[in-house]
Amino acid sequence: MGILNLLFANREVPNIEDIDVYEKHGGYAGLRKAVGMERQAVIDDVKLSGLRGRGGAGFPTWIKWNGLPKNYDIPHYVICNADEGEPGTYKDRELMLKLAHTLVEGMIVAGYATSSTAGYVYIRGEYVEPAWQVRKAIDQAYKKGYLGKNILGIEGFNYDLYIHLGAGSYECGEESALMSSLMGERGNPRLKFPHAPLPTVSGVWQSPTLINNVETYCAAAWMLANGGEAYAKLGTERSKGTKIISVSGHVHKPANYEIEMGTPLLELLETAGGIKGGKLKAVIPGGSSVQIMTAEQCTKINLDYESCAANGTLLGSGGFMAFNDRTDVVLLMKRTAEFYMHESCGKCTPCREGTRWIYKIMDRITSGNGQKDDIELLLDVCSQIDGRSYCGLGDAAAWPIVGAIKAFREEFEYWIEYKRSPVGKDAVPPSPEVVNPLLTLTPA
Amino acid sequence: MSDNRLTQTEPSLNAPVADLVNIKINGLDVQVPKNENLIESARRVGVDVPYFCYHPRLSKGDAANCRMCLVEVGMPGPDGTVRMMPKPQAACTMPAAEGMVVLTETPKIVKDRKGVLEFLLINHPLDCPICDRGGECPLQNNTLFYGPPTSRYIEEKRHFPKAYPIAENVVFDRERCIHCARCTRFTEDISGDAQLGFLKRGADMEVNTFADTQYQSKFSGNVIELCPVGALLSKSYRFKARPWDLHSQKSICTRCSNGCNIKIDFRQDKLLRVNARLNEDVNEEWTCDRGKFGHDYVSSDDRLTTPLLKSNGVFSPISWTQAYSLLAEKLKAAGANSAGIGGAHLTNEDNFQFQKFFRKTLGSSNLDSRTGRYQQSETALLADRFGYHGMGNSIAQLQDMKSIFVIGSALADELPIIFLRVRKAYRFRGASVVSAISVKDTASPNVGDFASVEMIYRHGAEIPLLNGILNVLFTENLLPANTSVDLKGLQQSVTEWTPAKAAAETGVAAELITEAARALAKGPMALIAGKEIREHPHFETIAAALGNLMLATGNSDNLNIPELDVNSQGAKDMGMLPNYGPGYTPLNSPGKNTQQILESAARGELQTIWIAGDQLVEHYHDPALVQNALYKCPFVVVSELTMTETASLADLVLPAASFAEKEGSFTNCERRIQRIDKAFEISRDIKADWLIFSELAAMIDGSLMPFSASDIFKEISETVTPYAGLTLKSLGESGTRWNLSSISKSNKIFTAIYTPPVRS
Repeated sequence: MGILNLLFANREVPNIEDIDVYEKHGGYAGLRKAVGMERQAVIDDVKLSGLRGRGGAGFPTWIKWNGLPKNYDIPHYVICNADEGEPGTYKDRELMLKLAHTLVEGMIVAGYATSSTAGYVYIRGEYVEPAWQVRKAIDQAYKKGYLGKNILGIEGFNYDLYIHLGAGSYECGEESALMSSLMGERGNPRLKFPHAPLPTVSGVWQSPTLINNVETYCAAAWMLANGGEAYAKLGTERSKGTKIISVSGHVHKPANYEIEMGTPLLELLETAGGIKGGKLKAVIPGGSSVQIMTAEQCTKINLDYESCAANGTLLGSGGFMAFNDRTDVVLLMKRTAEFYMHESCGKCTPCREGTRWIYKIMDRITSGNGQKDDIELLLDVCSQIDGRSYCGLGDAAAWPIVGAIKAFREEFEYWIEYKRSPVGKDAVPPSPEVVNPLLTLTPA
Repeated sequence: MSDNRLTQTEPSLNAPVADLVNIKINGLDVQVPKNENLIESARRVGVDVPYFCYHPRLSKGDAANCRMCLVEVGMPGPDGTVRMMPKPQAACTMPAAEGMVVLTETPKIVKDRKGVLEFLLINHPLDCPICDRGGECPLQNNTLFYGPPTSRYIEEKRHFPKAYPIAENVVFDRERCIHCARCTRFTEDISGDAQLGFLKRGADMEVNTFADTQYQSKFSGNVIELCPVGALLSKSYRFKARPWDLHSQKSICTRCSNGCNIKIDFRQDKLLRVNARLNEDVNEEWTCDRGKFGHDYVSSDDRLTTPLLKSNGVFSPISWTQAYSLLAEKLKAAGANSAGIGGAHLTNEDNFQFQKFFRKTLGSSNLDSRTGRYQQSETALLADRFGYHGMGNSIAQLQDMKSIFVIGSALADELPIIFLRVRKAYRFRGASVVSAISVKDTASPNVGDFASVEMIYRHGAEIPLLNGILNVLFTENLLPANTSVDLKGLQQSVTEWTPAKAAAETGVAAELITEAARALAKGPMALIAGKEIREHPHFETIAAALGNLMLATGNSDNLNIPELDVNSQGAKDMGMLPNYGPGYTPLNSPGKNTQQILESAARGELQTIWIAGDQLVEHYHDPALVQNALYKCPFVVVSELTMTETASLADLVLPAASFAEKEGSFTNCERRIQRIDKAFEISRDIKADWLIFSELAAMIDGSLMPFSASDIFKEISETVTPYAGLTLKSLGESGTRWNLSSISKSNKIFTAIYTPPVRS
């Protein structure tokens, strides 16, 4: 357990962005191996690895890969969700900046396994430098014959990669909204199964579509080179392999750490240099949408899907935020509520109206106008959003508030009664700069 | 594959019938079509699921956003045990599947509905007492039945300017909007101009046009009725009445030949608004703006309320007794030397009495309801050849076509409801549309917006264009093999019309002609010819060529040359033609048509002209001739609603009843006979045209004409063969199309000869 660099193995290699250097370090070996296999064998290898989607939901990857119809009368597409918008998460940024070729390789493997005609890398608009790196990697891959017509001499294996930059919307990281945006529509979520066919049956332009996270494709590239079995040996029983965790907040060494699944939370915290400016107060382990964990709960959590879920939170996208005891959780939640209010697409009633209402209540409480019933009201409003909204954004807006009230109810009560921060005058104002440097990238 | 139509989201309504599945709703077993949405399924067992954004005619892609229709759904697992889904599901998009269990009234759902309504109301101004929608508002109604008693929201609400003039006839109150996306979906799915959309996001999201431009559409009025709150409002009806003060009468729109079913809402004998009335066969539930906002003339202050007699160039009011004596005197003297024009805007009953009065009482057959440029009877062209008049298809049939050819028509303007069917065929049924017109229609929306081929031809080059298309069909072997008609002669005559030659003659690129022909080869194909063709100096030849195309492609039942005015079809059926009596019985001694009447009047040969409900000076293609004729004719009678330019040239003007003030029937362009009822009465001195003729006939020769619309209709059903067996009552609420079996057809190929125009 602990740090285990699979995807990051070559992170520090100078000029690893260059295709020649990348190839020297074993790059595109996974692809070469994959094209020597039957397409179904590639999918079976992914199945064997036990890889689960790294975007947040942890859905078994092979089911998606296997779900695309095997008749090819209409084109199939591969999409990479690189719209990394979850506050606290910046792993895809580093993967694309330094290891864009791994992503390109993984997407070509996916294209081969699903017989797709084209792939799209949907990158969030603010990620200009990562997009340039991906652009460079794609261009180099074309020159080497990894993309284009009859790839690696295989008759009929034609596959192109395109980059699409988002226009600044968190919602577009939701896979159906991403597809809307990719097709040039407003970035609103689309109907999901069972209301509409799965994307693997009818996705973009009503074609079968495979959509995965950057890290998932990178992991696929690694596992093809090293075998699904090798990957399955790592991690826990149901959470295989490694996960990149973006550590931020009050730690001495905030950075991306690739850890083996099942690493204890506190071990990672130590690796990141430990808490600075005080004692550990709380951790949000999986990005701002998941429930906050108290210091006591942190001792019990291992970083894998099952352990997190068992403790009432989620591993999510791996946006790990640690807070010291100068942190005012109520102010933190006010900032979080503001984020979701700002990012709600407005399509459905609960999210559009509810996120704004939550923010208004949080704003009222933290400006000294809290009412006695406000905590119950917050919980009720959250319950009216959670599970009722059109897509997961509403749930994601409600969970952190409910979680914070559950874990730190007395702080809310203190604010309402004394109209000031329970942490005292030198409380850390969770301004975006402090909570997470990435938040500054979101337009105000 | 690059087609961006969302055919997968076809609305549930009129969708092809699928297999049946067994589901259980609140414990009730019911069989419903597979994939039917659960709102409709629940309706089958009398269970109401409340909703705002759902609409059966709009695509479901953007539905399920209001979250009002959440229900609990369970699905049977492989072992047959039902597992309830953890989250409530939107009923409006949830497809029914075998073994599904649906619960709509559980405590959880009751609470969810309260929650949604609380959310919807936190930013709603709750200004119901001064809102036009108050009293007929889904938001009010759902709040009454499902909403929370109070609100817990104590913050400031969103504010926007009131009554923002978003369209010419529509104002928008953004504060009341609940973002259900019905209006935006309407513009995309139904009218096709896609002008309304959402701007901004989250709680700031607002319905707007792009860059705050005005919403300009021929169908903007529909969004008022679609809006589930009082956000989109009629500018003319705003603050005019409370809904419960209104009386409502079922009626038929008079603004074009489509015959939309409408409700006229009036208060104190004043027409205040027009709403659409459901008729799946005609307008579904839509109106065009001309129909919705174009009936204010009925309650105009300029309505004539008494007969007016002109002496020394000045009109002065006279009584009906005086008017009748004068009319009797003048008409008796004129006898057969009299003529009648008009009828396209009158009811069937008016027309029947009109022609009966002239033929029986005066002995004159100088009658014509056609006031367009082309006044030859197309009976020979269409009826003899194909066995029908005007339209071969019903309006509803158009939606099932695989391809539709719209030629010479600004369709959305001329025949708005037919336009919507064409659009529906394209949007939801995958039809390809080919448009050909000589002047590009730039209004919004228009057929060119979505036509797969749009050809702008040189006016007068219709026949080369059709020849070019036929040439491609022959050379590429795209015609059906088994046609009963011998096509050799036709094939020979178009051999020389290669796409290149047709292109040179028409100004349409050869590739477009080829592409059009290929699109039209997909059958069934319907053709709709518009005003440009109907008013063409060479109408007869072009109609023959259109007929040839339809015969050759095996679509002879699908040629449509619709009439354009509200009752032009009915007037002709009633015998308002110089050469045919009621029911198209040929006359031995035909009278004069409109042009001939005007010409002979201009020569001073006619003693009396009676113009009923037609603004001849304003609309005739030769207004000088009309003015001259009316000036030369010694006695001109005009029956009208207001003092039009034509009426001002008359010697005697009679105040006539509008469609809202009389009973009767109209026959629309697809030959659907539909009833209108009297809504109110403005003045007892305003008379329906049929009554004027009945009373006058009694006065002149004591003949007893019927004195009620239903009696006249009875006589019509006895005289006019296609109307046989019908009564005003039996027409019902959605009308009856008259049957065609009485007319035999010849399926003959006519040679369409093209004479190239002399170009200077």
